[in-house]
Amino acid sequence: MKHEFQSAEYADAIDRILAADEELVPSSGFLAGVMERVRDEAIAPRPIPFPWKLALPGMVLAAGTIGWLIYEFIRTVLDSAPDISFAAPRLASTTQMVLSPVVWIAFALALSLGSWALARRIARNYRVF
Amino acid sequence: MQESPIAAAEHETDRDSADVARVLAGDVGAFEGIVRRWQGPLVNMAWRYCRDRGRAEEMAQDALIRAWRGLASWRSESSFSTWLFSIAANVYRTELKRFPTAPPLEEAAEPATPASQADEFEDRRQREALRRAVLALPHRYREPVVLFYFHEMDVGMAARTMGLPEGTVKARLARGRDLLRKRFPYLNPKAEATHMMSTGKDPVR
Repeated sequence: MKHEFQSAEYADAIDRILAADEELVPSSGFLAGVMERVRDEAIAPRPIPFPWKLALPGMVLAAGTIGWLIYEFIRTVLDSAPDISFAAPRLASTTQMVLSPVVWIAFALALSLGSWALARRIARNYRVF
Repeated sequence: MQESPIAAAEHETDRDSADVARVLAGDVGAFEGIVRRWQGPLVNMAWRYCRDRGRAEEMAQDALIRAWRGLASWRSESSFSTWLFSIAANVYRTELKRFPTAPPLEEAAEPATPASQADEFEDRRQREALRRAVLALPHRYREPVVLFYFHEMDVGMAARTMGLPEGTVKARLARGRDLLRKRFPYLNPKAEATHMMSTGKDPVR
């Protein structure tokens, strides 16, 4: 159904000009160009869907680890705040300071290794490599 | 009276449904029938969005590829043409946002004097200036104007293509046409009459 804009009141020169735009005829190669692209798409391998089922446990684990790290960091900062003093550090706390980064580095390496192993396993299951 | 390419293509709904079914069953070649029927309307629609023939064909091709990818999402209870035009409008809108074609409306050409409309060349130039001025309209008014005239002044079809309520499209269309009338006052017969009364001259002669 055509609308009331077609009524004489509105059918002014602007309407007449814009309604009577020229008709283009697609170029001769247009159809062939579209079909070529369509055929290319049809034979292209389908994109690999993201393996949510496999990735979800890893993502939950990673989120939990990050949350735990943040919690530990905040707790450590809050715990150490009252201990700030100008007295010479005791041997035990010095050892703790040296060991602490080592533990963290080891933990980070283990996490990276775990992530790499998981990614490799997922990739092998989907025959990426 | 000669039938418009859109009307001609819309009469072939059954063939569209049959071709879609064949494509979904794995016959890639069946898509050719759809392209053959709709290439004209889609290229012409794109032409009204950008007024650049080469670019119009590229945009129409992208729209057809998008339709090909989403063919399974077409529900046969809705019109194939509405579905296809909606996809095309989305593609064209996105494309023109990325690479705009037109200068702002204030910079678009306008008729210098009413008298200059007299000769045929000038008349043609002004018609083209008006069509280009449509592209210079603010985005929210441009698309309703483009689609309204593309769909042979059918507001309902323009609204369905844009996925907006008819009332919204009518309001934007009215505002867009107002902007054009203000930009091209001498093309409006009422303005011409007012001009004649105030100056005693016929603007067209």
